[in-house]
Amino acid sequence: MEKLLRLDFIHNNDILFVIALIFGILIFASTLFFIVGLIKPHAKLGELKARTNSWWVMASLFIGATIVNHTLAYIAIGLLSFVAFRELYSVLEFRASDRRAIFWAFVAVPIQYYLAYIGWYGAYIIFIPVAMFLFLPLRLVLKGNTEGIIQSMSTLQWVLMLTVFGISHMAYLLSLPEIPGFSAGGRGLLLFLVFLTEINDVMQFTWGKLFGKHKIIPKVSPNKTWEGFIGGVMSTTIFGYFLAFLTPLSTYQVIFVSFALAVSGFVGDIVMSSVKRDIGVKDMGSSIPGHGGILDRIDSLSYTAPVFFHLVYYIAY
Amino acid sequence: MRKIILQLLYCVLIRLFLRIFVGVKFGKAKFLLEEKQFIIVANHNSHLDTLTVMASLPRQIVHKVRPVAAADHFGKTKLKEKLTNYFINALLIQRKRDKDNPENDPIYKMVKALDEGYSLLLFPEGTRGEPEIQQPLKPGVSYVLMQRPQVKYVPAYMKGMGKAMPKDDNLIVPFTSSLVYGQATLIQSNDSAEILKQIEQDFNQLKG
Repeated sequence: MEKLLRLDFIHNNDILFVIALIFGILIFASTLFFIVGLIKPHAKLGELKARTNSWWVMASLFIGATIVNHTLAYIAIGLLSFVAFRELYSVLEFRASDRRAIFWAFVAVPIQYYLAYIGWYGAYIIFIPVAMFLFLPLRLVLKGNTEGIIQSMSTLQWVLMLTVFGISHMAYLLSLPEIPGFSAGGRGLLLFLVFLTEINDVMQFTWGKLFGKHKIIPKVSPNKTWEGFIGGVMSTTIFGYFLAFLTPLSTYQVIFVSFALAVSGFVGDIVMSSVKRDIGVKDMGSSIPGHGGILDRIDSLSYTAPVFFHLVYYIAY
Repeated sequence: MRKIILQLLYCVLIRLFLRIFVGVKFGKAKFLLEEKQFIIVANHNSHLDTLTVMASLPRQIVHKVRPVAAADHFGKTKLKEKLTNYFINALLIQRKRDKDNPENDPIYKMVKALDEGYSLLLFPEGTRGEPEIQQPLKPGVSYVLMQRPQVKYVPAYMKGMGKAMPKDDNLIVPFTSSLVYGQATLIQSNDSAEILKQIEQDFNQLKG
């Protein structure tokens, strides 16, 4: 039982505080929408309520999986990658002859997460960008269908990088070596990354809804405004400053890292928006009520995870 | 005993496998509980189709639904036939009609299964064909419906299964796919061609 459950986080006040904060925000949001719903029954709160309810589920799942059991966290994040990969490649046009290569791309998911699990950094960091990058085109070539092969080669690698390589940085945070005097550890970093990324999404959304006027990039995403972007980045940076105890960084470092994280979250968001625009869908799926598919929720994570990881890795490890 | 095995197999194991690994999104099928008996009419693209429809059924009736399959394919060997009979609960028929021997006649066999109280799962496209391309419907289903007009048919449409596991390929590659049900409907006419046209329209509607 001791090994199965890592309940020592109960004694870790830093992490406990953030968990309380997360649920505090959720309780606040749910109560707010409930009261607004009572006062203004005609306000269109359906989507916001659905979103908040989904946040409850996602937050509980995430905290349950990552904080309580170490091994389970790798499996849970790996599963997230797997579903995101499947969701994204399914809406893109692949040829029937690409099936074998796609199968191998799926096989890469557990391997990548296993490498993260055993903490073999050298292999983990080159497996998809080098090994799969060289191998998948070979598998496509062996099939012999050259018509449209460039598109398949590049799309497959891009999907794998975005949904598996990028997201797997979340898992590798848990494999980072311990730093003396830094008690939150990999779990603290993971909590910091996910919390800040999601709060960044919410803040950009909220600031944009309240004050949004000047569009940033109307051709890609008409809802993105300068007001939302700047307000979001600033709020996220402030949040990051106050959550610095989850990281081994100094004050200036954590401000810089939070700022970079906020900006890259925005970039991940508009990159996925442009892809959706290209294939002509609004959402990637309907697996999360109010949010769309898994990818609609983790699009910014696929950018913030590697950016955050490598900044912290460079600065502190 | 067999009932429990079938329930466990379809409503737990195969359903989880299809949902989590393959990525099938199941439409609501609870409404089938309100029908005493029905014929599910589905499009056919993949080996996974039968499993997908069976796994989507409410637990209470999964053992009452018999998928109709071609004997020449599934009845090749005695062992294969036994396994198909036990685990898929299949009704094996031959593809051609045989009016001299009613025991072998596919229509007769299907009507008999209905009279025994079973519901049926039919793929009127007959063969799985090219992935994701609809084949012309065969008239067998309309003959059965005309002989038992009090039985409703339920159109079911699957998307993406032919990409997860197409014909002539035994490798399953996960692909986001879906199964949706239409409404349970009584046939309106006594003309085979018109019934088939109606079913085809239902398919097109579900295709969305």
